[in-house]
Amino acid sequence: MTIRIETRDLGKTFAVDGRDMRAVDGVSLAIREGEFVALLGPSGCGKSTILNMIATLLPNSSGEILVDGQPIDRRRPSRNVGYVFQRDTLFPWRTVQANIGYALELAGVAADERRERTQTALAQAGLQGFGHYYPTSLSGGMRQRAALMRTLIVQPQILLMDEPFGALDTHTKLEMHRVLLNIWEREKQTVLFVTHDLGEALTLSDRIILLSARPGRIKEEFTVDFPRPRDAVTLRETPAYAALFSRIWHSLGEEFVKGAQA
Amino acid sequence: MSRLTILLWQVAIALGLAVVWEWGYSLHDRLPWLVPELLDPYFVSKPSAIYDQFLHASCLVDKRGIWNDWGNGQFSKCMARSENNLWVATLITLKNTLAGFAVGTTSGFVLGLALGRSDRLTAIFQPFIVAANSIPRIALAPIIILAFGLGDASKIVTAWLVVVFLVFFNTFEGARSVDRDHISAARLLGASEWQITRTVIVPSTMAWLFASLTPAISFALIGVILGEFIGAQQGIGRMIIEAEARGEAAGMMVAVFVLMIVGVILATIVRRVQNHLLRWRPQSAANL
Repeated sequence: MTIRIETRDLGKTFAVDGRDMRAVDGVSLAIREGEFVALLGPSGCGKSTILNMIATLLPNSSGEILVDGQPIDRRRPSRNVGYVFQRDTLFPWRTVQANIGYALELAGVAADERRERTQTALAQAGLQGFGHYYPTSLSGGMRQRAALMRTLIVQPQILLMDEPFGALDTHTKLEMHRVLLNIWEREKQTVLFVTHDLGEALTLSDRIILLSARPGRIKEEFTVDFPRPRDAVTLRETPAYAALFSRIWHSLGEEFVKGAQA
Repeated sequence: MSRLTILLWQVAIALGLAVVWEWGYSLHDRLPWLVPELLDPYFVSKPSAIYDQFLHASCLVDKRGIWNDWGNGQFSKCMARSENNLWVATLITLKNTLAGFAVGTTSGFVLGLALGRSDRLTAIFQPFIVAANSIPRIALAPIIILAFGLGDASKIVTAWLVVVFLVFFNTFEGARSVDRDHISAARLLGASEWQITRTVIVPSTMAWLFASLTPAISFALIGVILGEFIGAQQGIGRMIIEAEARGEAAGMMVAVFVLMIVGVILATIVRRVQNHLLRWRPQSAANL
């Protein structure tokens, strides 16, 4: 299978108060076409930093990043890569549909086609009838669904997601998992999904890469081979889920403790 | 308090003030300790005289106090007689205010955006801006009249001068505080540098510009009146100066009232437009 994202000995050093702080160290990973990989780790372990370097949002201090076999170019992010922020970054001055259609507008897609595709996306996200609303009048979950659609509308084959549901309550989060699973099981994008929520990682991914506390290094990998299509709610009640959960939980727990001491 | 109660209080206070203004000074001889000298109609006129003066200055009545007929051309004859009658003066002042406002906000926005997005330009121009901003703008008015003459140009320039800094500083602040994540999001969605400027930086900075529009229109009016005080042939400011020279308190008061009405109308329109443009912001939706 083709490798779509690859990092080789990736590292990042930040200058904090005049001292160098190693945030990410020697991370080599490879993500295959159509694979859903979760990057799991305690807060501050550098998982978002890794994602942001791959997304060209941050320069890397050492190592290499290849997308589709090509070293990334920070000045020209690949059109094949979509990014979903942790924070809601919808443009508040645009209506929901103008936000979702934004990338099409940039690409010069004709208004008719834009409207059609935007309507489809609104329906997919369960936002029918909210197209003319401004983001500020939507709930957090609705905004994040709109943000997801804004990224997905240009059909990127690779998706980078930075704790996109981190700020949502449990119930809304499960709803978002359902929406995302629906879309992903149909389109099979290559996904790198950053999270500190083990349940979320297990629900969504094919493989979990567990990072150590700072500096972030790859500690362990786990294959998540639950059958698909998955149901975000009932999956959590299966014995296989419970077994894998407790296996990873212990390993993750050690890192939480280390992270808290550091 | 219900809206009706509030309205009743407002009407009562307005009537009370008008009554004191109209008849208060007649008590001056009997109660000098209660009625201040300032209420003398020689200084502040009184409502009835102001109303009378308004009817004359606006050509609505003739010298004898008889209503001018629209049909037989008395009104237009009266209008033609005076170069700076109330209507012409209001129109001129309004026109120059709007022109100064338009030029001031546009140039302030462009300058603020350019400097706000460029650290290099900011570093170079900062001392000049601080220096220019610390000059009381009013002090420059005589120079502007000297340079641009007694016509409309000098009034527009004066209005521009008071508006441009206000809008500039607001826009500058706005351009500096554009959300980095919005810029990143746009870039990752495929926006070029120019598209980022057009679709993220400009609209996000516009919010700050809009917030400065209401004070800007008031400032523009102040600038124009100031210019007219110092040197003009027409305009409401000119009317005030002329009435002062003739010792006509009523004439000045008519002009002041017209200014008040013009000011209220302009500010209301601008606030409406501002609220509409900022309808995406929750706080502006609340005070619509």
